[in-house]
Amino acid sequence: MSARAWLCVAVMVAAFAPAQLPAQEGAPADTSLHRFLGQLADSTDRYFGLIDAPVDTAGLDSALAAGLEKPWYGPRSRRRVSYGPVTGFQRVDGALFGASLGVNSRVGRWSVRGDLARTSRSHDWLGGGALAIGTRLRDVSWRLRASGGRRTEGLDRDNSERRVAALRALLSGDDTRNYLRRDGYSVGIDADGAEWHAGLEFRDRLESPLPVTTLWNLFHRPPEATGNLAATFGRTREIAFNAALRLPLLPLRAQITQAFADQALGSNFDYRRSRVVVGGEITAFRHLSFVPQFAWGRLSGDPVPQASFYLGGPQTLRSLHTESMGGTGLAVARLDVIGADDLLALLHLPHPAMFPIQGGAFVATGAAWGPDPFGGPGSPASGWPERNAWLSEAGLSLLYHPGVPDEDGYFRANYAWPLGPGGGREARWSVSYSRALDLLRPF
Amino acid sequence: MPLPAFLIALVLAAAPAFAASPTSPGPTLAIEDTMHTEVPEVLVRAPRVTLDEILDRVARGEARRDSMLKDVVFTATMRVVRDPASDKPKLFAERVSRVYRKGEDKVRTVTLRHWDARPPKKRGEVDMNFTAGNGEEIVNFAFQPKARKNFRYHIVGRDLLGDHLIYRIAFEPRSLLGMPDPGGIVWVDTRDFIIVRQELDFTRSPTPLIIKGIDRAIIERQEVDGYWVLKRLIMRATFTVPIPRFGRAFDIAVQFDDYRINQGIDDAMFTKAVKP
Repeated sequence: MSARAWLCVAVMVAAFAPAQLPAQEGAPADTSLHRFLGQLADSTDRYFGLIDAPVDTAGLDSALAAGLEKPWYGPRSRRRVSYGPVTGFQRVDGALFGASLGVNSRVGRWSVRGDLARTSRSHDWLGGGALAIGTRLRDVSWRLRASGGRRTEGLDRDNSERRVAALRALLSGDDTRNYLRRDGYSVGIDADGAEWHAGLEFRDRLESPLPVTTLWNLFHRPPEATGNLAATFGRTREIAFNAALRLPLLPLRAQITQAFADQALGSNFDYRRSRVVVGGEITAFRHLSFVPQFAWGRLSGDPVPQASFYLGGPQTLRSLHTESMGGTGLAVARLDVIGADDLLALLHLPHPAMFPIQGGAFVATGAAWGPDPFGGPGSPASGWPERNAWLSEAGLSLLYHPGVPDEDGYFRANYAWPLGPGGGREARWSVSYSRALDLLRPF
Repeated sequence: MPLPAFLIALVLAAAPAFAASPTSPGPTLAIEDTMHTEVPEVLVRAPRVTLDEILDRVARGEARRDSMLKDVVFTATMRVVRDPASDKPKLFAERVSRVYRKGEDKVRTVTLRHWDARPPKKRGEVDMNFTAGNGEEIVNFAFQPKARKNFRYHIVGRDLLGDHLIYRIAFEPRSLLGMPDPGGIVWVDTRDFIIVRQELDFTRSPTPLIIKGIDRAIIERQEVDGYWVLKRLIMRATFTVPIPRFGRAFDIAVQFDDYRINQGIDDAMFTKAVKP
């Protein structure tokens, strides 16, 4: 009997029952609803079969009595221990081998992590520790965190791509990121609401340049970069504030980051670094996502390379090598269009179910201006680039969303064509692993 | 639907039921088959409740439900069945626990049965963990005020069952990026705007590398002493590659039985013993 027929029966029963069934006074008033739900449940039972077999209740009462008599020491262990290898590869340290160990509560209220690794060519020990404690008050999650150690990090603090960069460097030497050494600590506090995030952090780190030590790769390809842009040596003490907000009435998020380094804090540098990003997703026809993103950044004060902005690479302009241009100002606008469906399935091409491939297209424009960290002539340090500083591109992407280890991460293969004037750029491939909204930091 | 067609459908639908159980207890269907008439259509000018208003009421109804539950005791049975669609599905694991919850911060779980088809080397590898709090986010995640921006909603249908009007409301995630939220349909009892059933729809696998797809996922509630509480969570999923000793597909279900609601749980139940 169809659900619609059952509905008809239920309607008529409801209409006639009070008048014609006085003897049923003892029955629950909402029998019709329960019977309706029971019918749906029966349908579920037929679909699932064995798993819905009645529970064997024999022995459960005595097990309960015994369980309640035993002393109870609280919920089962709330700690979770995790460990794993630490690996990496880039041209300043060579290979990196080590291990990490972490302990965290099962509900994520606190965590302690540490890692230690040895570099193969710079013969150095790198690592550190991090501690975080969180709580939830009303609808706001608070998190206090502290971390410290000695690490090699990217000069471009807005470029979070590490894993694929290391893989590219190892396989073909295609890594043009620049690196510096940071020794020190940071403490911060974060607050997260349903629609917003705010964070405040203090950093005290000695920043130093690193020489190149490793130029080999597995495929013996000539490395894309043989040098490493030197960071300005000195102690940086800075206060950073970041906030993110989901804009009302619009499918967009805005994010602002401000960092202040000041000699009054004991810093060797004095600068103010601002970055604003707006981005979001607009879906169309339930099969396409339009992902517009806009980023603007400005550094005023000491134009040290480790605080500058960089243009080029999968997260800004894909027709440029990563960090191929820099300055004290940055503006990037990009529109990605990403199809939700599996391209191979649409083309009726047989393929493993674990590899649904999505298609995408993009157009982007961007500019970096101001004093050039690479030592070029640079341009005036104003709030907006000159007209001829803009570079544009268009391209196609193939995307794969594995779902692990990051639920929002995509492997992307991009082919980008330069548009308009731009100093001898050529169309090029790039491979990356990032979120679709890669200019916005996750919160 | 015109009344004659309605009656025809009714007769066709009801006939087997009558034949099967002519003397069953409960309401009995009566059919008027000697009088034929037509009822004129009536234009109703009263404003209809908008979808937004319905969603607001569902959010309030669910919040009210949560606030009315002071303490809850129930038995939870989790089962995993491998090869569910084959001729010989096999029970893989079963856990039965008695769970005591009070307020927003007290919970105690007593394990009653712990059975594995292949006992793991490390005890407790598959286990049920219950958190404190009586909210059921798994049911109303798409209908909380904070989630309203993340989903599209539309009314699929209205079912009149006795003096209950049930709205079927479909929801789907707005975002197509990354790990997709599930869509689905909920059945909402408009008497107190409580979700009484939910069917989830995963159009894409959340983790394609591991899970090929989630074929079906259903969440049912039941009314116990006037409170709507979980009755069953049940799901069938398929892996992309067969897992050794487990297979490619599995069913997982958690059944909730034997409720005791707001009957008062002594705080001593949650007092931890001192380790010797």
